[in-house]
Amino acid sequence: MKAVAWSRLRFLAPTCLNIFLAVLAALSIMMSCLLAAQGQAPPAPPPSIAVVDLIPASLSGESNQDSEPFLAIQNQNPQVMVASAFTPNPFSMTGNAPVYVSQDAGKTWVLNAITPVQRMTCDITHAMATGENHPRGDLHAGTLACATGITLDESESNDVSLSTTMNIQSTRGNVDQPFVRALGVTSGDRIYVGLNDFNQSSGRTATIDVSVDGGATYKSIPIEARKTAGQDGPSVRPAVANDATVYAAFFGWRKFDGKTATSDIVVVRDDAAATGANPFQVLKDPSDKQSGVIVVKNAQIPWSNAAALGQERIGSTLSIAVDPNHSGTVYVSWADKGSKGDTYTLHVRRSMDRGTTWSKTDLPGTTIHNATNCALAVADNGVVGFLYQQLSSGRWVTHLVQSHDGFMSAQDRVLATVPADQPVGQFLPYLGDYDYLLSVGNEFRGVFCANNTPDFSNFPQGVTYQRAADFKTKTLNDGAGNLVPISIDPFYFSVPVIP
Amino acid sequence: MKISTLFLRAGLGGTGLWLAMWLILSGCTRAAAPQATDKAAIASKSSIIFSGTVSQVGATSFADVPKSAQTIVVKVDSVEKKPAAVSLKKGDSVTVEVKDASAFQEGTRATFYTDGWIFGSGVAVKELGHELGAAAEPVPMTTAAKPSGQGKDEISDQELMERMKASDFVVVGRVMDVHKWNVPKPKSGAPSRVTEHDPDWHEAVVEVQSVLKGGKVKGNKVIVRFPNRNDVAWVSSPKFAKNQRGIFCLNRDQSTGAPAGGGQQANSYTCLGHGDALPITEEARVRSLLKKL
Repeated sequence: MKAVAWSRLRFLAPTCLNIFLAVLAALSIMMSCLLAAQGQAPPAPPPSIAVVDLIPASLSGESNQDSEPFLAIQNQNPQVMVASAFTPNPFSMTGNAPVYVSQDAGKTWVLNAITPVQRMTCDITHAMATGENHPRGDLHAGTLACATGITLDESESNDVSLSTTMNIQSTRGNVDQPFVRALGVTSGDRIYVGLNDFNQSSGRTATIDVSVDGGATYKSIPIEARKTAGQDGPSVRPAVANDATVYAAFFGWRKFDGKTATSDIVVVRDDAAATGANPFQVLKDPSDKQSGVIVVKNAQIPWSNAAALGQERIGSTLSIAVDPNHSGTVYVSWADKGSKGDTYTLHVRRSMDRGTTWSKTDLPGTTIHNATNCALAVADNGVVGFLYQQLSSGRWVTHLVQSHDGFMSAQDRVLATVPADQPVGQFLPYLGDYDYLLSVGNEFRGVFCANNTPDFSNFPQGVTYQRAADFKTKTLNDGAGNLVPISIDPFYFSVPVIP
Repeated sequence: MKISTLFLRAGLGGTGLWLAMWLILSGCTRAAAPQATDKAAIASKSSIIFSGTVSQVGATSFADVPKSAQTIVVKVDSVEKKPAAVSLKKGDSVTVEVKDASAFQEGTRATFYTDGWIFGSGVAVKELGHELGAAAEPVPMTTAAKPSGQGKDEISDQELMERMKASDFVVVGRVMDVHKWNVPKPKSGAPSRVTEHDPDWHEAVVEVQSVLKGGKVKGNKVIVRFPNRNDVAWVSSPKFAKNQRGIFCLNRDQSTGAPAGGGQQANSYTCLGHGDALPITEEARVRSLLKKL
């Protein structure tokens, strides 16, 4: 799937219509360039698409690398959302690391320093389940603090608009990459935290921390059944359907030589919210009768803890999403070495029988070369969204692809196309080891990170900056007229779900 | 301006409170020597200091800040101190969550010593102390209280004192050598772990030229272990280079996972926190702050 600057429909259409659309698109691009050169906004994009730079106006002087975004939506009150990134506390080296909070469905955001981690997290994901009557909660977060060692905190906020520090409910060390999903039920929020738990025995490190009481207690459940190369890959991703079916995907590392992980892409499932005696053991692979279906065996996954794809590192990109209303349909996406000449290649596969069998090849058009940060979500109407970032012609291009028929047809929106060599990275990850996509009602909402140069041509769907920015000169300032260097910012987006 | 007001709201603990009450009861409205000292202490703890005029009480200056009886809106007359990232200038309206709203009414002028709270279309802060009247006399500032434009990587006096207090040693030294260091495998035989946050431990051999805090260093050389990885987990940790001279805050190695024991391990330290390695030009400041510990 190549980077294009506008929607792409693979529906068959009359040739004349194609020509007409092509001319229309060319005129649109020419007009955009002309107006942008004059310092004006391009023609209004489709009104229902929104892209918003999360940095608030009162932090216009910041130039941090605010990478690795995440998003939580309060499903009962979707006006309320929480986003995060590697954003440091703006006023204290010892104060709490902050999150971004919106109470108007993403139009505006504030920064509120409420996480239990000092200054800046080194991993943070979160979810807002709605089992309790907290219209601006319950935010459940998994954070890593990295001051002297790495410590996981699983914590909760009942009201993200307040400045109260999140309540730590569980803590331990020696884990990596917590990834939180949650489901609200009347008896209490159910929380699922995928993580790579080095405390597990025998190197079977892929783990889901499960709480069925709103985080009051957690139980660590190992989900790897097979022998590993000493450990599994960092990414362990849960997905939860409305009927309490819980899936999880992970990289089962079988060999690792420091540069390449030979890995199985494994999916497990539980049909009872992971509350039974033997959770996540429903799916058995026919090859060895072990728990966990192998979607792809012995994938070659390059591992580089240095810049390898543009200025980004690579090694553990994975996403899973389940149809919220039809839990038998589930999608998984990952990145591996791909074909010769590629650095990192994305794939998407689908199961329509509750994870028992999977498409044998990538779904049409979902083999994406030199790309990372795949994120999947399925809307209420069954449409799947596929967010990814592709390095194309020296630019990071962020796509959101939607399909209602397993990518036989698809709509592709380019949300951002920015220079990949600027700004120079301050640390890794440059954009993030992940971005994120969710669905709510008839919207896909998500977050990605990108170069924050205020240039309308970088944002084909339009963009709103809260921070002080001059689109005429394509410069940032601190609100008092002093120039601020460009940096990596987190961007929120909302895109209507296709019918 | 009433010094009692400043002390009462400064949150200096029981002693400060009793002192303030004594000052009130004694009718003292101005004190010379302690005022400067305590003002400096509050200024040191404050991340944002500004003078302004109260324009609203029981109100907020922008949406998303919880309004309460404790929140007031202040129009800024001048900014004494703020982080570089924060956009705040004369004429802006700031929400201040005060400790005692009865001290303020519309038109009240004061200097506010505050910490950050919520950052949105405007700034909201929490009061640490205030000084009634027009713009306060200049705070006896050190690095912590520099005017706006403070660099984001600069460590404040308060934070540096906390770092030094938590350190086993503070030394002046020179880096003789830097090399990669592999953590010895534990006796349990557990395999090493692969994560994005792998620190890539390196060792710096530091010749100690003087010890500013801590006891004598055996052999005048120490091993300082530091993460060489440019991962987010270690981005604030100092990186060492050969021939680098500086002031180093050191802790006995309890972070790398190396087994405890004698020999070289006994002389091995880590230097992990922001501000744990300072340029030699900071020596006078460090010595001055150490006297206050």
